[in-house]
Amino acid sequence: MWKFLRVFFAAVMVLSFTSLACAQNEIRIGVIFPLTGPLATTGQGLLKGAELAADIINNKYNLNMPLAKTAGLPNLKGAKIKIIPGDHQGKPEVGMAEAERLITQEKVVAIIGCYNSAVTATAAQAAERYGIPFLNDSSSSPSLTEKGFKWFFRTTPHDDMFSENFFIFLNDLKKKKKITVGPIALLYENTLFGADSRKYQEMYAKKYGYQISGAVPYPAKSTQLTSEIQKLRSYNPSIIMQTSYTADAILSMKTYKDLNFAPTALIANDAGFNDPDLIKSLGKDADYILSREVWAKDLSAKKPMIKTVADMFEKIAGKPMSGDYARSFTGMIVLADAINRAKSTEPAKIQKALSETNIKADQLIMPWDGVKFDPKTHQNVLGKGIIVQVQKGERYTVWPFNLATKDVIWPFPKWETRK
Amino acid sequence: MKKGLFVFILFMCILAAVPLFLGDPFVCHILIMTMMYATMSIGWNVIGGYAGQVSFGNAAFFGVGAYTTAILLVNFSVNPWLGMLAGCVLSVGLAVVVGYPCFRLRGHYFAIATIAVGEIMVVIFTNWDYVGAAVGIYMPILEESFTNFEFHSSKIPYYYIILCMLVFAIAVSYIVEESRLGYYLRAIKDDPDGARSLGIDIQKYKMIAFSISAVLTSICGTFYGQYVLYIHPSSTMDLMMSIHLCIIALIGGIGKLFGPVIGAFVFIPLMELTRVYLGSEGQGIDMIIYSLLVIMIAIWRPQGLWALFSRGDK
Amino acid sequence: MEGVFTQTLVSGILIGFIYALIAVGLTMIFGMMDIVNFAHGEYLMVAMYFAYWFFVLFGMDPLFSLPLVTVLLFLLGVITYYIFIRPIISAPMLSQIFVTFGILILLRGVAQYLWNADYRMIPQTLTSGNVSIFGVYTGVSQLIAAAGAVICNGLIFWFLKSTKLGMALEAVSEDKEAARLMGINSDRMFALAWGIGIATVGVAGGLLSSFYYVFPEVGSNFCLMAFVVVALGGFGSVPGAFIAGIIVGLVEVLSGYLIAPSLKFMFVLFLYLGVVFIRPQGFMGRK
Repeated sequence: MWKFLRVFFAAVMVLSFTSLACAQNEIRIGVIFPLTGPLATTGQGLLKGAELAADIINNKYNLNMPLAKTAGLPNLKGAKIKIIPGDHQGKPEVGMAEAERLITQEKVVAIIGCYNSAVTATAAQAAERYGIPFLNDSSSSPSLTEKGFKWFFRTTPHDDMFSENFFIFLNDLKKKKKITVGPIALLYENTLFGADSRKYQEMYAKKYGYQISGAVPYPAKSTQLTSEIQKLRSYNPSIIMQTSYTADAILSMKTYKDLNFAPTALIANDAGFNDPDLIKSLGKDADYILSREVWAKDLSAKKPMIKTVADMFEKIAGKPMSGDYARSFTGMIVLADAINRAKSTEPAKIQKALSETNIKADQLIMPWDGVKFDPKTHQNVLGKGIIVQVQKGERYTVWPFNLATKDVIWPFPKWETRK
Repeated sequence: MKKGLFVFILFMCILAAVPLFLGDPFVCHILIMTMMYATMSIGWNVIGGYAGQVSFGNAAFFGVGAYTTAILLVNFSVNPWLGMLAGCVLSVGLAVVVGYPCFRLRGHYFAIATIAVGEIMVVIFTNWDYVGAAVGIYMPILEESFTNFEFHSSKIPYYYIILCMLVFAIAVSYIVEESRLGYYLRAIKDDPDGARSLGIDIQKYKMIAFSISAVLTSICGTFYGQYVLYIHPSSTMDLMMSIHLCIIALIGGIGKLFGPVIGAFVFIPLMELTRVYLGSEGQGIDMIIYSLLVIMIAIWRPQGLWALFSRGDK
Repeated sequence: MEGVFTQTLVSGILIGFIYALIAVGLTMIFGMMDIVNFAHGEYLMVAMYFAYWFFVLFGMDPLFSLPLVTVLLFLLGVITYYIFIRPIISAPMLSQIFVTFGILILLRGVAQYLWNADYRMIPQTLTSGNVSIFGVYTGVSQLIAAAGAVICNGLIFWFLKSTKLGMALEAVSEDKEAARLMGINSDRMFALAWGIGIATVGVAGGLLSSFYYVFPEVGSNFCLMAFVVVALGGFGSVPGAFIAGIIVGLVEVLSGYLIAPSLKFMFVLFLYLGVVFIRPQGFMGRK
């Protein structure tokens, strides 16, 4: 027994002393993503996005974005950003523990994370307790910025804004194409993300005068979605608004086809529908899906810098840039910009600098109007979504019309007329 | 047994003294999680180890504990400590409702029935708007105090609370083991027909064991809710959690008083360390390591690690 | 409206056949040696990955690689038996449960290590597309998979009841000692049972891979259903699993359609609990 205890406590001691003394000219930033577990692929990509941003900040690049042209942070004598990764596996209590570990052991001055909204909630609470700035780059649950956190900032638009985008898009389309829009039915995964989306879609449908004829929640990990889609069909919708993760997005598209069900349009709410695996898995059956996105490569038509960054990402990550990865990239840039303006690594000064953030649209790789946080909620008020459509196996921006590179194909063609 | 008691007291003293030397919250967190799992696994051991009824649904009690406390606190401002008691009552209620029919099933049928019950609970809580459905419940941030069961500046109070729960669980388990109940349970496990022919009311004693198991798991649910301050169905009722409870008991020694404690002190830190130090590099390696550990123990050392230490005393 | 109902019914029966096929190996292994293979779904996952890689690397359609996948899974089953199962064949139930659980985690870990957590799917197969029969639409792949499931289940049933080898298997499962006296090597029979049991999931995996995605945890989507099917039909009963598979498929689809999709699993599980409480040995199980 003794031997075991000795060994065990030795292990614990070693663990607790591993915290390294920080090198002087290094700014340690914690980055917490789901690096293992079911969301590992996305998590690894998110980390790569942040790493690319750190590389651009730490070295000289000729890009029109904050801190790119200098090496390191000029206001801190060229100090370099060092990323300390943390893995939360999609579990709220692990996210909390990782935030605490990074703050207390790794002595990070700020944290970026966590992708899953439920994990961001607990990790942000930990940061709040220790008074460390927490920049949320990619969680879209609106409740996160409604809790009055002092140290919490969010750059990405949330589901509330995104849902409104859907209806503005429909209004714009009505005007432009003289189409009529019938009843809308909702299909969503019954989790935090799906339930939130439904709430806001229903709210904005009412506000913009659209009729919702039914909403179908389904459990994750279904072996089949036939009954869900039959139910959806019985609501006789002209438009389906769907919120699904990759697996169910693939399965539902297969099922639509198998049951020969083609509504006028399918508008998806990001997540699974923007996963590169979707087009890979479905081939040409993925065509004509409309999806809310936060980013698309063809935005480079208006901002060539986007292509440069996307190519750099593909080189280091071995896979194409996506909206999620672009957001973790942007999160890191925004945070570094604030630290530079704070001229200090003191949390309170960083917090103050973050709340004074004002980055212009042309300095971002996002389709946003800029980055500026609401003084109370700390939500970026200039964020904006876009809508992309899959056309011949590629995603193209189709809305807002001023950023569009392709025209919307409307309606969604019937399955039997497709080649 | 005297030597065992000595080791136990020594161990608890060390645990009680750890926070005096370790201010580090992350180590503290690992120890808190370890003790929480140890407590729950002791709870599992009462039904799964002593009585030999493998339950894969114990996470349901964890969820009931967490949710009862949270709902009472959020909707009726009931103190979490009272919420904990209410959670225990409801968990025992659930144990009785579930146990009554399920205990008529034997072996594998029982195990699968408990999986079914656990999964049904997840579905219900994910769809029940009153309890926050899929979104879950955020605990209100209250002033930190023992009465409020919330501490924000330090983890050490949580550490001592869960330590007390662990001691409580060990004491309960010890009483069960030494009492007539423990004797009956072992008889039911080894030879149910023989036990019945001796006039032991199998159903009743299984039910009592299940209820004890439910209480020990439920208090951990309350603790978790107050510790993390946010609960949702997949973090409180996951099937994987139930499975971890069994695996911890297996590693330490099923049906042994200290088995689950040893199991938890090996398993949880191991999982945390592999996650922190291997996690982002070798995906899946941590799973491979621990599955091999489980398989090897199950094949060669079904008595668990406890057998390594207890050769002399027992 | 009626059309929609028939359509739902047909979908339920089709998926039910698949459940039955996945369950048949599980029920066979249980019937033979009283071991529940908790890793059953993981073998399905492995089979699906094999089919996927045969397609990606050699361009083989899942329909053609099916025999290969089946043979590979048969071997995997036999190997599993000799390495992991033989040592615990007469161990207490707890050890058996944990060994198969260990295999479950092991296979998931290996899959995650080798192929990471991406969702993968074969985009276009020979059987892609849908057909309409009397106004009822269905995917061709599903139809073929269902037909494959029926054939495979029939073959297993025929094998157990009408061939010498099959009867030897049955004899071992009835009474190990008597079988030994009759000169049957029970060890080899067990290995064969594992081989066949896992090979049937191989067939299921091969068929599924043409219309379902694969990722390391895909097994858990099907595994719970397979358990319910086995317990409902009676542990050890092949025809029981077949009937139970169809019932589970129908209950899932109909409760999803008529009541609420998000509660569909609950209805399946309640059905299971209801049946085992009234008749603990399932529809056709031996006591």
